[in-house]
Amino acid sequence: MNAAIGYAAIVAVAVASALIGFYGLRVSRTTSDFYVASRTVRPWWNASAIGGEYLSAASFLGIAGLILLTGSAALWFPIGYTAGYLMLLLFVAAPLRRSGAYTIPDFTEARLESVWARRVTSTLVIVIGWFYIVPQLQGAALTVRITTGLPSWAGSLAVAVIVAVLVAAGGMRSITFVQAFQFWLKLTALAVPVVVLLIMVGGIEPALPPGEAFPIAAGPSDLDVYRTVSLMVALLLGTLGLPHVLVRFYTNPDGTAARRTTVIVLVLLSVFYLFPTAFGFLGRAFAPDLAASGDADALVLLLPGRLIPGPIGDLLTALVIAGAFAAFLSTSSGLVVSLAGVISQDLLGGSVRGFRIAAIASSFVPLVVALATESAGLAGSVGLVFAFTASTLCPMLLLGIWWRGLTSRGAIAGMLTGAVLSGAAIFGGSLLSTAAPGIRPFLEQPAAWTVPLAVLITVLASRADRRGVPRGADAFLTRLHVPEAARRHLG
Amino acid sequence: MSDGAETAGSRPADAPPPRPRVRVTAPRAGAAASTRPIGLVGTEAPTSDIRGVYVRSLIRSQLRLGVVMAVGFVVATALFVLAIAVAPELDETFVAGVPLSWLLLGIGVYPLTITVGGLYVRAAARNEARYRSLTEDE
Repeated sequence: MNAAIGYAAIVAVAVASALIGFYGLRVSRTTSDFYVASRTVRPWWNASAIGGEYLSAASFLGIAGLILLTGSAALWFPIGYTAGYLMLLLFVAAPLRRSGAYTIPDFTEARLESVWARRVTSTLVIVIGWFYIVPQLQGAALTVRITTGLPSWAGSLAVAVIVAVLVAAGGMRSITFVQAFQFWLKLTALAVPVVVLLIMVGGIEPALPPGEAFPIAAGPSDLDVYRTVSLMVALLLGTLGLPHVLVRFYTNPDGTAARRTTVIVLVLLSVFYLFPTAFGFLGRAFAPDLAASGDADALVLLLPGRLIPGPIGDLLTALVIAGAFAAFLSTSSGLVVSLAGVISQDLLGGSVRGFRIAAIASSFVPLVVALATESAGLAGSVGLVFAFTASTLCPMLLLGIWWRGLTSRGAIAGMLTGAVLSGAAIFGGSLLSTAAPGIRPFLEQPAAWTVPLAVLITVLASRADRRGVPRGADAFLTRLHVPEAARRHLG
Repeated sequence: MSDGAETAGSRPADAPPPRPRVRVTAPRAGAAASTRPIGLVGTEAPTSDIRGVYVRSLIRSQLRLGVVMAVGFVVATALFVLAIAVAPELDETFVAGVPLSWLLLGIGVYPLTITVGGLYVRAAARNEARYRSLTEDE
């Protein structure tokens, strides 16, 4: 591969993101601007920004790679990533916006009137955020290694530095514009190559005949029921608890706008995911050797150059590299914004200066982890973060929004149960990868049993602590569910 | 009777500002008959109690709506996947070199997601409109 294309594309995306970010800085003045863009972002902008923030390395590179590697089981990832937003719409979007809190820990404290519940939530948010940034940095390492020939650490370091500077300088107002821009960049960067490839491959002989490229044994009729159900539980419910997703909802003007935004997000994601899927299908037919070489996640980056030689192929390659970098930058910066919000409010007094320090800190911890570990498949790593989130923050959020009987003891007990069980399963699963084949699926996809257990413990512990129901629970639930237009009647 | 006199009496006073348009919206007939007397009879009872009942019923109806939509989505998806899995001819029908079963699984669930989302937003807004018309009648 021509390294100059790689450098040009990466620099172009970084410069464009910085320009939009600093343009946004001119309208970013107060603390409120920094945290939630003063809640004045319109639904289409906001939906594009949510899409831009959400579509990470796992979506841009990981899904196509996993389709190439494992077959149609990988198609459940984009389905789950999209349907997660449906669950968000049904149970969380409008109430969360109406809660008026800045971050998930703010929500916990306001709902449960407990500093300890807040501290546990903050810790979980930070852990989730860090582990979600790690695959982004590993994706950047892969992209830089494949496209420029530089060592892997250069890619991780570049993304961490760019994100720290962008977030510390501009806050969320500018991030909203950057994210919206990056959604459309990512969509274009996959859609154009797919369309061109589909036109061109008519004249190219596939590497494998259709029957071998899409064997029935890897097809939809060979469904692993437990793994699929467990993955769906993780993705559908994990989306509800992702810190960078939630913080984005505070930028809607009201609950109704939050719902409208979420439906637009569903449309944007549905359109987007057609293209990684198409890339995966093309890869199975035309580049099956990548699965064997261990670089399946690089399929999207390599396929255009392989199938279309000459300047058109170079141009398409530059485009997908730019899109991939947009994916790493946007997801990481969204996560860093929400982490910095939590850290600065809990530890540094909530000032703009504290936010900047926290932004730099939350970029560099995941960098250390990313440099110290090997990537185990981008889509899979992100899937595990979803399972952890679904087992910890999701029960607390859902019950907090819909059940007045939730107490701070119940919430803490449930969050800790979910964290210990799913954390142990995830680490145990990676250690016991060959030792115990019988329980492997339960460790590698734990959400189907850890989420119900976490909910059960939360409910039982709250029931045992009836006097612990916060005195303001009714008033808070009223605030969450009563439409803004009718609030004046409540006095 | 006093109910009718009350509305009739208040109408001319309210006529010039834009509010009357809100007052003639749909759920009014049933709502007025069942709720207004409670508000008038319980002169000393704090109206916030009645509002509390309305709020709880709003929360219940929104939760019921969300659960029905979620279950509907999951059941429909499961049936769709089952239908693909038990139809072996879909594995052998190739469209542009890809088996139909793969294409259906890769594309088919998204329209369902958007449809359920759209239906939910309208139904949730209806629930809220009903709540508003109840509380504004008082």
